[in-house]
This record gives sequence, structure tokens and C-alpha cells, in this order.
Amino acid sequence: MLLSLGANPLSGYATMFTAAFGSLEGFSETTVKSIPLLLVGVGICIAFRANVINIGGEGQMVMGALLATAVALAFPAFPSFMLIPMVLMAGAVGGAFWGAIAGALKAYFNVSEILSTIMLNIVAVQFMNFLLRGPMIDPAEIERGTGIPQTMRLSENADLPILLEGMRMHLGVLVALLVAVGAYFLLWRTAIGFRIRSVGYNPDASRYAGISVPKNVTSALAFSGAMAGIAGAILVFGSESHRMVTDGGSTGFTGSAGFNGIVVALLAGLHPLWSVPSALLFGGMLVGANALQRAAQVPSALIIALNGLIVVFVVSSEYFKQRYAQAGRVEEPDDNDNGVIVTEGGNNE
Amino acid sequence: MTSMKKQVLSVFILLACVAGFSLSAWAGDKLKVGFVYISPIGDAGWTYQHDLGRRELEKNLGDKIETKFIEGVPEGPEAERVIRDLAKSGHDLIFTTSFGYMNPTLKVAKMFPKKHFEHSTGYKTSKNVGTYMCRFYEGRYLTGIVAGKMSKSNVLGYVAAFPIPEVIRGINAFTLGARSVNPDVKVKVIWVNSWFDPGKEREASEALITQGADVITHHTDSTAPVLTAEEKGVYAIAYHSDMSKYGPKAHLTAATHVYGDFYTKTTQAVLDNTWKSEAVWSGIKEGSIKLAPMNPVVPADVVALVDKTTKAIADGSFHPFQGPVKDQSGKVVVEAGKSLSDKDLLGMNYYVEGVLGNVPK
Amino acid sequence: MDFDIFLQILIAAVAAGTPFVYAALGELITEKSGVLNLGVEGMMLVGAISGFIAMAKTGSLLVAVFVGMSAGALLSGIFAVLTLTLMANQVASGLALTIFGVGLSAFLGLEYTSIALPGVPEINLPLLAKIPVIGKLFFSFDILIYCSGLLFMAVSWFLYKSKAGLVLRGIGEAPKSAHALGYNVIKIRYMAVLFGGAMAGLGGVYLSVAYTPMWVEGMVAGRGWVSLALVVFATWRPARVMFGAYFFGAITIAQFHIQGFGFDIPAQLLSMMPYIATIIVLVLISRNQNTIRLNSPASLGITYHPDNQ
Repeated sequence: MLLSLGANPLSGYATMFTAAFGSLEGFSETTVKSIPLLLVGVGICIAFRANVINIGGEGQMVMGALLATAVALAFPAFPSFMLIPMVLMAGAVGGAFWGAIAGALKAYFNVSEILSTIMLNIVAVQFMNFLLRGPMIDPAEIERGTGIPQTMRLSENADLPILLEGMRMHLGVLVALLVAVGAYFLLWRTAIGFRIRSVGYNPDASRYAGISVPKNVTSALAFSGAMAGIAGAILVFGSESHRMVTDGGSTGFTGSAGFNGIVVALLAGLHPLWSVPSALLFGGMLVGANALQRAAQVPSALIIALNGLIVVFVVSSEYFKQRYAQAGRVEEPDDNDNGVIVTEGGNNE
Repeated sequence: MTSMKKQVLSVFILLACVAGFSLSAWAGDKLKVGFVYISPIGDAGWTYQHDLGRRELEKNLGDKIETKFIEGVPEGPEAERVIRDLAKSGHDLIFTTSFGYMNPTLKVAKMFPKKHFEHSTGYKTSKNVGTYMCRFYEGRYLTGIVAGKMSKSNVLGYVAAFPIPEVIRGINAFTLGARSVNPDVKVKVIWVNSWFDPGKEREASEALITQGADVITHHTDSTAPVLTAEEKGVYAIAYHSDMSKYGPKAHLTAATHVYGDFYTKTTQAVLDNTWKSEAVWSGIKEGSIKLAPMNPVVPADVVALVDKTTKAIADGSFHPFQGPVKDQSGKVVVEAGKSLSDKDLLGMNYYVEGVLGNVPK
Repeated sequence: MDFDIFLQILIAAVAAGTPFVYAALGELITEKSGVLNLGVEGMMLVGAISGFIAMAKTGSLLVAVFVGMSAGALLSGIFAVLTLTLMANQVASGLALTIFGVGLSAFLGLEYTSIALPGVPEINLPLLAKIPVIGKLFFSFDILIYCSGLLFMAVSWFLYKSKAGLVLRGIGEAPKSAHALGYNVIKIRYMAVLFGGAMAGLGGVYLSVAYTPMWVEGMVAGRGWVSLALVVFATWRPARVMFGAYFFGAITIAQFHIQGFGFDIPAQLLSMMPYIATIIVLVLISRNQNTIRLNSPASLGITYHPDNQ
């Protein structure tokens, strides 16, 4: 495909790779881009393990970011060591709330979560546009008359500290890694995780075993939403402008991480820890594609699309074929990982 | 045989590329001018007008300069990288043509204090960053005159992007122009909350036409309102570019902004080492605002009136917001004999008398 | 509000609802065969840009429709190979299709942004269009809108009156039994998926060639997702799909009219309405499990292959 554009594919990929991983600055950029992908991806792992298809990452990110921003606006004077955990928590709560709506609709009203999360994405974006143009807009925008839909510069106490002098890599990277590890423990080392997985694996058997299916479906979506919500909060407080801004569209704020996170999770075989390299790969692809666009005028949209497609083909066919052969039904992600083939090697827990 | 031919051909192409590259390297003493565009150029609209200006600049100073443009650059960190790359690759003068490029431009300018930057529609300047913007409202007032004269239903439709002063100023100037020739005229506004969304712009135009508007104008970026007007058999007044080819019958005229002179003058100043950072707000007087050619259906007396008003605005004897101007409640906001200051114009957040509805909060 | 305005709103709603009609009826057929293709948004986008390019190059609506439908079908063909032959997960593959379609259409359309086409003329059917009220409402649309009406009739007839439709529904309900009866499940599902893709492509062509008519990156703007929701909303019945599509179109149009009449409701809250309404309807129809169970194809979304049973 690159060939057809008159570019050398090998040197093209070399350019991408060098830009994304070849320098400390590039790598720092890559990690920053990977944060939302990883967090959403980890959330997707949890949801899909409960056999809940969460396509609502976009909306959950937006709602998490909005609540986190509101907290930062309400308590600007709190010291960093309190305010940063508070905004991250607020992000989690906002995302969890939005996820739980879809979860409850599925659990108690039998509404397909695929459809409700899609609808809730759009509602969340409009809600963000409403708040950022109205109640939450920077007063200076009104005064100056420019009316850009953005909040004021949020409290400096909520800025995520930069980890490397002069780079963009910030605390959000560590938070995302911690969440990934936490999700791993949640899924395989806690009773909640066990219930979520068993509901996904076999709802009927779980019911007989006394596990409440509706409750666990709701909580799986709430956990999933919480991770996306943290991602939204990190996007705001780790941004260079330290404001929340909307461009009116759905992908302006999230950069489509809510969708791309699904691919990250699938590539990782729905495993939170494998999601880390998977997210780095996709983050690197974003950084590299931008570099390639500047160097060779190859549109980055195409590269992302193609790479995404290739990866998903590999994952979906291999991964689910295996599942199918074992279980007869491919819909249910099981936790019996024997023989699961993931492109990047084994996925043994 | 064919593969042989292909090989020979590719060698030639390679050679040609190398030659072209070295030639452009030879041309190193020319001033390199960079342009950053928010959207693809297309064949009408905001970016198209800027590119017309760039082409005119090349025509005027082609032997002393070379230009490069990068289109479709999203606002944010990506813009910063593009601007930085341009500066790094030897561009001494860089025009950034979207409001959201403001902070990236300022940031890069700080890193390259010897280079010159011009940012369109911003309000922040620095030692090596100037700003430029057009007095669109002057063109709006003139097109208002045309619309006021051509309307039979006395309802004019206005498809608007976002309720910010720039857009509200245009609505008010258009309304004042229309009511100066037809005091019964009312202006209906529909906000689409997007700068460029042909689907919504079409739906909004249709709604306005359904609700009685027989002249449609827009402060959005696509040709959809003109197309819709043509389809529905009403008149349209375009914005940004001459869109007459999209609605030969409907298109009465257009309020366009023209950058050729400004780009040429600014580049010349850099060549002469006389450039300094300024905030330029230019209009009809400087040739930055022009009306597109009138549709033949516009009567000669209307054309004459528009010409007369154009001259009056150019020589300063008339100001579109010249008192008395009343707001919607009938309160006089500009007293007779006075006109609005630039500061008041920039912060405008109310409708004048004749606009229907309220400014969205 | 006088009657004429009401009528005009209805007419505009039909035009606004037409892309949904195409895409949702196509998806309906796909889902009736037991396959869930979430890639509608991507297929519509690729159909929209392919049709647009064809229209810009040839000026022929027929060519544009053909190219757009082929592009949509081609994309759904990829999906079919993945899910039917390679037995990949339908949800994952559908999502991948959308991500791919968004990128591909943006790339194909790079040189076509901000270029306008002349549009498709309205056809005033002779005599019929002169009938007051009804004439204007039913007989003065562009040809693609009439075609969507024909499609509705064809789909309804096919599903409920033809033998082939019965087989299709049977496959969606119980692929195993259909296989046992000697029907080639995979082949029929292939055809259903390709049909869905072609219709999504046609919905895209309608948007870019007749409705706007212009190409903008991402111009389908969620209509593919809404079409998916409409199928469920309609509990897999063609007539209800039509109603849902026009209803959705009407709400879209109404938000502009409400503004034009000077009501002060924030535009963003109005834009949310159609989606909130959809959720509410989904709750109403899904609450009773039997409604869903009776109407939804029993094997929807479940991979099936004869060799593995």
C-alpha cells in the first residue's frame, strides 16, 4: 500500500520506528500517546471477560474528564498530593457512572450494551460541548469575546508532574501501569474478578452457583468505564494546555482512544499486562505515522487504518478460531488460556 | 522488455529527483515562506482564500521567494511540530492561518527568535509574531444591502457557526445593511455549532427557507447553503469565496477576504528587513475585503448603492456600526453621530434590532 | 405552525432519513441471516467517497451508485471472509472494519474535500406531483429516495413472501437445522453480508452525492451506528425500520426548526435528543425479553461452521 504511494515501505517503517522509539524524546511521546490506549484497553479486558462488549470508551473518557475537571475547578487551592489523587478518582467515578448506566440497562432491561454505549458516546460528547460552551467555559473567553469552548487554565496543583526534564512523559504513565497491574490482580486474584469472569464464561452456571449476573455485568462495565474515565482525566491534566477543550466533534478530545483501546485489548488477548506492550505498539504507531506524514507526505490516517486492520485480522482470526475450536461458541471469552495464540507469544497467566 | 523499460524509466526518474533536489538546494538564497492550513485547500472557503493569497504572493515576488504550504494540519501538538519543522527547514517567514495555532505559533516563535511569524485571527503578538485579520463585517454590511433589496418575503436566513463575537458582528452588520434599505426586514439565525459540516448547513438552510427566508447567507465554511438555495429556488449570499458556480441562479454576491496584498507586503518587508510585529485589522480600505461579482439579476441602482457605500467605508466617511444603532430591546447602543470602537466590535455579544431570537448563552 | 411548514418538515425528514433506510435495511438482512456486522459506519464512509469520486469523474449517477455499492460490498466481503470462512469474532471484525473504513475513506478523499457536485435533481412525477399536499409529500423527491422506497418493498416481500426469505430467516434462527436440510449456510450468509455492505455503501452514496452533496472526512457522522441501533429499535421488522429512520430524520430536522422559531434551548441538548430517545425506546422494547427473543434471529452474532458441529 505504501508502495502504491511511491514510498519505500521499508524506509517508511524505519522512519516510523525511529520516530517512535529511536530517541528518548520520541519514546516519551510514545508513552504519553499510549496512556489512554492502555487504560481503555485494560478496561475493555475487564468488560470483555464478562462477555460485555463495551464500545463506550469514548463517552466514558469524556465523562471522567468532565467530572475530574469540575473537581479541579471546585478545589483549586488543595495541595498537589491531595488534588491529583482527587481528580484521578473523580475521573474514575465519572467514567464508572457512565459505564454503569449501560451496564444496568443491559443487566436489568436487557438492552444491548453495544447499542447503548454507542448512543451514550454521542450524548456524552454533546454534554461536554454544552458544559464547555456554557457553565464551565473560561470566563476570560467570554470577556475577550473569543468564546473558545474550553475551561480556564486548571489549578497548577493538579498538573501531573513531568517525569523527565524537558520531555512530555508525566505521572500518567505510572498511573496507567499501576492500573494495568491492578486490573490483573482484580481479575485473577480477587473474588470480584472471579465472579466477573465466571459470569462471562458461563452465565447459567454462575447463576446456579449463586453469582448475581446482573450485578456483575453492571460492575464489569463500571470498572471498564472507570479505567476510561481515568484516561480522560489524564488527558486533561497531562495536556500541555492544562485545560479541557472541545472541538465540537467526538474524536477531538479523545483522539479515538475509546475505539482504538478495543483493538489494543484484543491484540493483548484480553490480558491487562499484555495490554502494556500492545498499547506501546499502537502509541508508537500514532507517533510514527505523524512523523511519516511529515517526512514522506503519506497520510497518517491510512497507515493507522492499515496497521490496525492487519493487527485485528491476525488477532481476531487466530485468537477466536482457537476459542471456537475449544468452546464451540466464540462469543464467550473464557479464562482457560491453554493454547491461546496471541501474535506476540504466549499468554499464560 | 517492458521491465527493462520500467527500469530505465525509474533510473531517469531517480536522476530527475536528484537533479531537482540539488537545484532546489542551489536556490538557497531565496526567502522561504511557509503556510500552515487547517483544512485541505479545496475549491472554496477559508483555506482556499489563503491559498489564493499565497499564489498571488508567488506571482508578485516569485523570483525572490519560494513558498511551501502544509494543509490539513490539526490544531494542538501536531501544529506545533509542523510549524517547528518549517522553521527548522529554513523558512524565515511563516503564516499560520487558524485561530487554534495561536499558542503553538507563539511557542515555536520563542524557539526561533530570528524567524518571523504571522498568525491569522489571533489576539496575542510577541516580538516576532504579528497577527492579521479582516474586517469581515464591512463586507457583511454591503451584502446586507443586496439582501434587503432582493428579499420579497422580508425574511433573511443566516446559517451561523458558533455564537462568538466574530459571527455575531457579521450577523449584526448584515442586518444593519439590510434594514438600511428595507426597514421591514428580519433576520433569522440558525446555529449549527460547527465551522464545516455540509450536512447540518444544508439542513439549517432548508429549515430557514421553509420558515420563509428567501435570501440565505452563512458564516460557515462549505458551499452547502448556496447549493441548497439554488435547489430550492431562493437567493444566496456566499461567504469566504465566490461560490457562483455552485448556484448560478441563486448566488447574488459573496463577501470575500483577500490576502494577496497583505502577504506580498509582509514578505517584502521581511526581504527589506523592515518587518515588525503588528496586529493588523484590515478591511475594504486596504483591499482585504471585496465583494464577488454581482449576479445580473441585481438591479443597477442596488449595485450603484453598494458601490457608493463601499467608497464611503473606504474613505472613512461611513462606518457600518454608525449610530444610531438599537439593540433588540430598542435600547440605543450606539448614539447618533458616533460609531463603535474596535474594542466594542471585538467583544460584541448582543443582537441589533431586526435579528430574531436570542443570542445563545 | 401552519400546515405548509409541517409538510416541508416531513419532506425534509424523509430526505434526512433516507441514508438510514438504506443502511438499516441492508443490516437487517445481514442480521436476519444470523450475522452481526458492526462495520456499517466504515462501509457507509467508503461507499460515500467511492460514489463521490465516481460522480466527480463521470458525472453519472448510475456509475456513482454502482461504484459506491461495489465498494461497500467489497468491504463487507472482507468481513465475510474473516467471520464466515476464518470464523473470526464478528464484533471484533466489525469494529476493525469501521476503523479501517474511517482511515481508508479519509485517505481516498484527500483530494476531494471541499469540492461540490451539482447534486441530484428532484423528479416531479408527472401529474402525481400536482396533487395538493400528497403530491408534494410523495412525488417530488430525487430518484435515490424513490429507490429506497422500492428497496423497502422488495425487502419486505423477500423476507415474508418469498421462499428464499424463509430460508434466510431459517438460517438466522437455526443454522444447524438449515444445514441439515441441505442449505448452504455459509454461502447464503455470504450473500446476506454482501447485500448489507452494498446497501450501506448506497446509503453513503446518497449522503455524499445527493444529500450534501459534498465529501467531508468522517461525513457519515455516526449514521452507521444509528442504523445499527435502528435495526434493534425496529425489532428486525422492515416497516418499523422505515418508521424509525424517518422519525430519526424528523428529530434531526426539528432541532433546526425549533431554533428558527426562536426557542431558547441549548443546541447541544437538542442534539442529544435523538440518541436519548433511542435509548429510551431500546429500554421499552428490550425490557420484555420475549419481544427480543421472538424477533431477533436466534443465532445472531454466533459463529457457525458446518464442519465443526
